[in-house]
This record gives sequence, C-alpha cells and structure tokens, in this order.
Amino acid sequence: MSLISSIGLQGLTGLSSGDTVTIIYIIFFMGLFVFQFAFGTRIQVYFALNDIGRGLSKLKVMKEKSRKEAIDYLVNVGKAANDPSQRVDQFLDYVTIMPVGIDPQGLVNKIDHVVTTNNDRVRAEVGALVTQNNPVTVSISENLLEVATALNMIHKVVRHYYILGKKTNSYFTLIQLQMLMPMIIQESDALLNAVDSFKVGQPVGDGIGPVSVSKFMVGKEKRAIAKDTVMAISEYKGRKLYIVKADGPMAYVGQPGVAIKKIVEEMGVKPSAIVMIDAALKLEGEKTGEIAEGVGAAIGGIGVEKFQIEEVATTHKVPLYAILVKQSILEAITVMRKEIAEASERVVQTLQRVIEEKTKEGDDVVVAGIGNTLGVAQ
Amino acid sequence: MMSSVPATDRKSKLLVYSIEECPVCGQKTKRAFAVGDYVTKEAAKCTKCGNQTRVSLVYAESTKPSG
Ligand SMILES: [Zn+2]
Repeated sequence: MSLISSIGLQGLTGLSSGDTVTIIYIIFFMGLFVFQFAFGTRIQVYFALNDIGRGLSKLKVMKEKSRKEAIDYLVNVGKAANDPSQRVDQFLDYVTIMPVGIDPQGLVNKIDHVVTTNNDRVRAEVGALVTQNNPVTVSISENLLEVATALNMIHKVVRHYYILGKKTNSYFTLIQLQMLMPMIIQESDALLNAVDSFKVGQPVGDGIGPVSVSKFMVGKEKRAIAKDTVMAISEYKGRKLYIVKADGPMAYVGQPGVAIKKIVEEMGVKPSAIVMIDAALKLEGEKTGEIAEGVGAAIGGIGVEKFQIEEVATTHKVPLYAILVKQSILEAITVMRKEIAEASERVVQTLQRVIEEKTKEGDDVVVAGIGNTLGVAQ
Repeated sequence: MMSSVPATDRKSKLLVYSIEECPVCGQKTKRAFAVGDYVTKEAAKCTKCGNQTRVSLVYAESTKPSG
C-alpha cells in the first residue's frame, strides 16, 4: 500500500491524498455549475413537456367522453333519427365571432344579437336532430353539446400552446402552461362532472336562485315574459312581488334582463327595489352555502343581461339588491349539494327581511332568481 | 334508465335525494331521486294529513365514510 502511494500522485505532484479529494470536489461542483447553467432550462423544459403531455392526454379523454355522452343522449333519450356523430362533430367546431370592440357605442346590443343568433341556431339544430321533441330533452341536449364544445375548445388551445412551446423550445410558454395546467384540469373535470347531473335532469348548484324564488311562484298564474323566462305576481306583507325566473324544469337560464326591462318599461310597474338572487363563486376557504348580501346586479354570463338590468335600474332610479349563495365552480355546475339546497330557506328569510327593510307597504318589488333552472319548475 | 336507485357521483360518492314536503302540515319525506323529479313537482299524498305534497328540494349528500 505504502509503495503504491509513494510512486503515485503524491510522488509525482507532491500533493497529499486529502488535497486530491478537494480538487476533485471543486472540479465536480464547477462542472455541475456549468452543466446547470448550460442545460438547466432544457431539463426543466423536458419535465414541463412531460407534465403538460400527461395533462393533455387527460383533456383528450375528457373531451372524447363528453362528446360520446352527448351523442348517446341524443340517440337514447332524444331518439335521433340518424346517427348524429357527424353533425355533433360539426357542432363542436362551430364558431361564434364576437363583434368588434374598437367603437364601443352600442356594443352590448351587437353582442346580444350575435349570442341570440347562436342560441337560436343551437336550439333549431338540436330540435331538428332529435325526434323526442319535448323541451326538457332539447334543453338538456343543448347543454350537453355546450359542455362538449367547451372541452373540445380547452383541449385545442392547450394542445396549440404545447406544440408551439415544443417547436420553438420556448421555456416561458411551457412553464406558464405547466403552471396553469392543474387549474385547467380542475375546471375541465367540473365540466365533465356536470354531464352526469345534466343528463338525468337534476338541479345544479347554480339553480339556487330559481329554487328560492320558485317557492313564491307555486300555484300562481305564470306568464311568459321573455324568451325562456316566466313571471308570476305574488304578495308579501302588503308588497306586490313580481317574481322572475327562467322557465323550468328545462335547462334554461332565460333572459332576466329583458324580463325586468319589460316589467318596468312596458307594464309600467314602478318598483321600489329589484332583488336578485344568484349563486356566487366562493373563494377557497369560504364555506359552501354561505349567504352574502350586497348591492348591484347579481348575474354572471357574458354581460348583456347585467348591462340591461343596470340600465333599467339606473334610468328609473331603482335600487338593486343582491343575495348571493357561495359555492365552488364544481358545485355550481354539478348536482346541487345539501348545503346549497338548505340555504334556500335562509335565502327566503333574507329576501323577506330585505323587502321589509327597504320597501314600504303598497310598494312593488321585482325579485329575480338567476341561474340555470334545470330540474326546478315553478 | 328509470332506476330509482340513488344516482351516485363517480368521485365523491354522492347520493341524490328528493324531499317531498306537505304544504299544509309541513311534513317532509326524504326519498331517493328518480329520473323525472323536479322541484315543485306534485308527489305522493301526505301520510299525515292526506294533502298533495310537492318536491321541495333535490340535493346530493355525500355518503358517510364506510366503517
Ligand atoms: Zn300533510
């Protein structure tokens, strides 16, 4: 042993074996540093690509499942005369071109026009596809196709950025996409879960507004006041209530904006308050079924209805009150959870309190239950 | 298709129920959701007073953890 070491490194360079180890360490770490500097992003890109690739295959499975569910529903429940697959595929790629926004005057009306045209087209096409022409089946088919279209779009966009990032080896494109992926998957999963509730006609969490106001409408005379929207007149402690909701139990959201406008401008009602009840997205950590009160137009969507309601309220100086029921996006579009359903009683109590506090006997009040009214009649 | 077995949610094991409520005496009956049920639909006669009940709520509840 001592012979080998004496004619080895130590003998030639005059270094001790401890010094040799230190030098090897330094070289190793310097090499690692250079390697990390030169190839670090490439390694991260590799992992990001892997990650996104996995998510993308998940999205593809979801997209195909929703398409199949829609077709199955059209065939089994809607009793489509011919195989609807081809028609459904055309449907999934149909585009809605939004109006130009560089001259914003009158933009809402243009958006409304495009959206209405699209909705009418969807209903007409689904109506032509199925032979079982009852409105519930048609409305459910519309919703199932909408889900399939949304998932198809999500998959396409994610795939676009995945391929683009891969082609251009763009670190930042891929890292951003990788960061967003869990949220995208979560939302897509919620959409896919919605299919299960939709096809059997169960009320969804978003239907809490309609559920709450339906209690005031039972047994009253209902009239169609706007497309897919009904109104009934009720009474509470000397106030006349004009109750508005989408026409159930179809999967409609209706046109509450048009309805409220008609009540105020065509029927000549002078409400002392408009109260809107809607589901609201909760923040993480907030409890499902919690009730929040506020002012303003409580309605989601593209903004057309909200604009119409705000305009009527502003023009006629009617205060807008909101009652919101907190829920997650998943809970809003899947079968109504117990916590949400049971909040309806508290919503009614809150509504009654708001009416008592903000209006006097003999006043007129407009109450609108906003949301998808699937599985909730009146 | 027309099963009256509670529909289950794939992931969180949710059972869906319909609540029938009597407008006169307020008695509530909980039963499994059946396809075709909707809120305000007329349901069975009340077992207590014989009046017409209505479905007042349809909701999902998670099953208790099996033990
Ligand atoms: Zn009874």
